[in-house]
Amino acid sequence: MVNHLRKLIQNIEPKFTNDGPLKRFFPLFEATESFLFSTAEKTNSGPHIRDSVDIKRVMILVVLALVPCYIFGAINIGVQAGIATGKVRSLFDNFMFGMEYIIPIILVTFIAGGFWEVLFAVIRKHDIYEGFLVTCALIPLLMPPNIPLWQVFVATSFGIVIGKEIFGGVGYNIFNPALVTRAFIYFAYPTEIAGDKVWLVGPDGYSGATALAIPAATENNNALDLLHNVTQFDFSWINMLMGYIPGSIGETNKIIILLGALFLIYVKIASWRIMISAVFGLFFTAILTNILAPFSSNTMLSIPPHYHLVMGSFMFGVVFMATEPVTSAHTNRGKWIYGFFIGSLTVIIRSINPAYPEGIMLAILLMNAFAPLIDYFVVQKNINQRKLRYAK
Amino acid sequence: MAHINIRKGHNIRISGSPENEYFSRPKSKTVSIQPNNFRYVKPKLLVKVGDKVDIGSPIFFDKVQPDIKWASPGSGEIKEIILGDRRSVENIIIELHEEEKSVLHTPVKYQEISSLGKAKVTDQIMEANLWPMIRQRPFNKIADPNDTPMAIFVSGFNSAPLTVNLDFALRYKQSVFQAGLNVLNQLSNGNVHLTFEVDTNCETLTAARNVNLHTVNGPHPSGNVGIQIHHINPWKPNEVIWVINAQHVLTIGDLFLKGIYDPSIVATVAGPGVKNPAHIQTRTGASIETFLLDNLNSDDNRIISGDVLTGQETNLNGFLGYYDTTISVVPNSNEREFLGLLKPGNEQSRYSVTNAFISQNKSNFNFTTQQSGSLRPMVPINAWENMLPMDIYPNALYRSILAEDFEEMEGLGLLECDEEDFALCSFVCPSKIDVGSVIRHGLNLMKDDG
Repeated sequence: MVNHLRKLIQNIEPKFTNDGPLKRFFPLFEATESFLFSTAEKTNSGPHIRDSVDIKRVMILVVLALVPCYIFGAINIGVQAGIATGKVRSLFDNFMFGMEYIIPIILVTFIAGGFWEVLFAVIRKHDIYEGFLVTCALIPLLMPPNIPLWQVFVATSFGIVIGKEIFGGVGYNIFNPALVTRAFIYFAYPTEIAGDKVWLVGPDGYSGATALAIPAATENNNALDLLHNVTQFDFSWINMLMGYIPGSIGETNKIIILLGALFLIYVKIASWRIMISAVFGLFFTAILTNILAPFSSNTMLSIPPHYHLVMGSFMFGVVFMATEPVTSAHTNRGKWIYGFFIGSLTVIIRSINPAYPEGIMLAILLMNAFAPLIDYFVVQKNINQRKLRYAK
Repeated sequence: MAHINIRKGHNIRISGSPENEYFSRPKSKTVSIQPNNFRYVKPKLLVKVGDKVDIGSPIFFDKVQPDIKWASPGSGEIKEIILGDRRSVENIIIELHEEEKSVLHTPVKYQEISSLGKAKVTDQIMEANLWPMIRQRPFNKIADPNDTPMAIFVSGFNSAPLTVNLDFALRYKQSVFQAGLNVLNQLSNGNVHLTFEVDTNCETLTAARNVNLHTVNGPHPSGNVGIQIHHINPWKPNEVIWVINAQHVLTIGDLFLKGIYDPSIVATVAGPGVKNPAHIQTRTGASIETFLLDNLNSDDNRIISGDVLTGQETNLNGFLGYYDTTISVVPNSNEREFLGLLKPGNEQSRYSVTNAFISQNKSNFNFTTQQSGSLRPMVPINAWENMLPMDIYPNALYRSILAEDFEEMEGLGLLECDEEDFALCSFVCPSKIDVGSVIRHGLNLMKDDG
C-alpha cells in the first residue's frame, strides 16, 4: 500500500518539476509529498549530521498540545447548552453536540488559511510553511461556538494575509496571526464579540454577562461578592479553573491548558520564561490594584490575583500565543521583560479600561509590537558592555 | 590554575566512537597537501610534477606573505598536481619513497630553548616551513610572524564527536610536549595557556610547566579553543591571539630537539559507517584509503576529513586535511519514512536535544547524512542559545551579518567567533540553517573591509 503510494507520487512528480505542466503548483506537490514521506534531503553544508527535529515536528507538537483543548471545548459547548435549555446529556453526547459546532469552524479556518498559504507559496515559489497549521489550529479555539462561519472565513483571511503573509510569511511576521484574526473579529463585529456577553449555544436571546463583565459593570463594590452572587453561572474560582463556564471554545479549562504548557515546556518548544514571568506580572499588578481598590470606585481593581489567573483567556493566551517564538522577544532576558508586561498589561487593561473586559489579547498584540524594542535594548546592552571591555 | 565550567552545549552521542587503541594498517603510499585547507592563502607552487622532495622541503608559498612556506609531509616524488577553478591549486599529491629522507635543521638542547628569544624561534619554524601550524584569532587564519600575540592557546582536549582522545595520544610524550610549550613561550613573552579536561590523568598535560594551566569541564564545544579564549583571556581590538593544535606542539618540540620535521600524528577513524573505530598512527596529509579498506559497514558513505560537525567532505581517494586528525564516515540514507512526522519516534530512529520524540538518547545513535527536514525561515525556539557557551547573542549576530551591518557585527563580538563554535547551533537548528557558514561569511566581510 505504502509502496504503491510512493510509486504514484514518483509517477506524477515530473508533472510538477522542471517543465511539467503543473510546475507552478510544485509547492503543493512538495508539501503533500513531504507530509506523507519524510524528506530525503541530505546535508550539503555545515554539520554533516543533524538533529531530528524540524519545523514540521515543532508545529505538529504544538497542534498536539491543542487537541485536549478541542475535546474539552466540545464537551463544554454541550454542557453549557444543557444548562441553558435544562437538558442533561451524557458526556459523550455533550462531546458530539459540541463537535457539530466546532467541526464547521475548523473546516472553514483551514480552507481559508490553506488557500492563502498555498497561494502565497505558489506566487513566491517557496515551500508551503507548516506554521499555518498552528495558526489555523489556534483560531477555532479563540472563537465563540456560535460565531457565523462567514466571519470566521473573513477574519482568518485577514489574520493570515495581513498578520503574516504581507510581512513575508512565517518567521518574518510581527504579530501573532491567530491573534490578529481574533482582534479583527473583536473590532469588526464588536456588538457580537466584545467579551462582555457570554458566548454559548442556547435558545435565541439567551445570554448573560461574563465573569469579567460583571465587576466591570458595577461601581463601588467587591468583585468577589458580585461573582459569588451570580446564579446563572457558577463563577466560583474552582469552577472557572475547571472550565465549565461559557467562553471561547478552547480557553475555559485551565487544567488542560496547564497540561499543554507542561508538555510544551517538556519538549523544549515553548519558553517557560515567558509563562512564568507573565504569571508573575499578573500577580504583581493585581496585588497592586487590590491595594488601590479601596481608594477607587472601580470594582475591577478588587479582583484578587488568583481570580485574574483563571478568568478570561489569560492562561490560554500566555501558554499558546505569548510564547509563539517568532513574535515574542528572542533574547532570554527580553523574554522575562516581555512576559512580565503581558501579565501586567492584562490586569491593567481589564481594570482600568472596563470597556474591553478581556485584556490578554490586546496585551499580547501590544507586546508583540514592543518585542523588537525590548530585544534592541538587551542586545544594545551587550554591545555596550563589549565596547567597555574592548576599551580597557 | 583556573577552572572553567561550561554548561551550554551538547555531547552528541554518535555511534562508532574510537576505541583507545591503535588500529594498525599498512603505511599510506601517498600523502598530499591541500592549499584550500588554509584560509585567505594564495598558493604559488615551488615544485612541479616529477620533482623529488624530502620531508620538510617547501612545496608552495603564499603570494600574500611570501615568507610563509609549506613543508612537504613526505619524501618522494610529486605525482600529481590537481588544479581547480581558474587554475587554483587544489591538491599536491606526493608518492612516497620506500626510504624517506628529511631536511635537517640544527637541533637545540632542551635547556637552551628557553633562552633562544622570539626572533630565533620564529626563524627556525619559518625555515622548517612549519609556520602554517600557528593560526590566529580573529579570522582563524595563519598567524603573521611579525605580530606579538597577547597569548597563545593550546587546547589539551577535543570535545567534538569522534575526535582524538588527547590523553591517549599525548601519553608518554612529556619531554617533547614540554619542549614545544617552551618554544611557544618564547613567541608570546611567556603568555601560553594550556587547557585540559578536569578529570584527565595524562601527565603530559597535568604536569606541564612554564604555562598557565586551566581545567575545563562541560559538553562540546568546551574543547574548542575559541570558547576557552572567550572565558580565559577574551580577545581585544588591535590584538591577536595565536592558537596551535596540541599535536602540533609535539611537532614543534621535535623540530627543536631533533632538528627534523616529524609529520606523524595520531588520528581517529570513526563514525557509524566504520567497522573498527579506533585511533591510528599516521601522518599529516595521509591518504585515507588504506584505513577504510575492508573497514566500512556499507558502500554508500560520506567520508569526511575532520569531525562530523566541521569537517570537509572527501572520498575514498582523499587525504587527511592539514589540521584534521579525524576521518569520519557517516552512511548516506535514502530512506523516506511514511508519515514520519506523526510518529512518536524511538531510540533507533530519532535523535534530538529536545524531547520532541519518545527517545531517551541513552544509546549511541547511528546518524546518517539526512538533514531530517528542509530549510525554513528562522523560528527561534532558543535552540542556538542553548548550544553556545559564550556571551554572544547568536540570533542578533546572525541577523546583523545578513544585514551586513558592520558596526553591529563587531559590537556583537563577531571577531571573537569562529564558525566551528557555531557548528552545534546548526546541528540543532529546527529550521536547518547553517549558522556557521553565515558566521564565516561575516568574518570574510569584516576582513575585506579591513
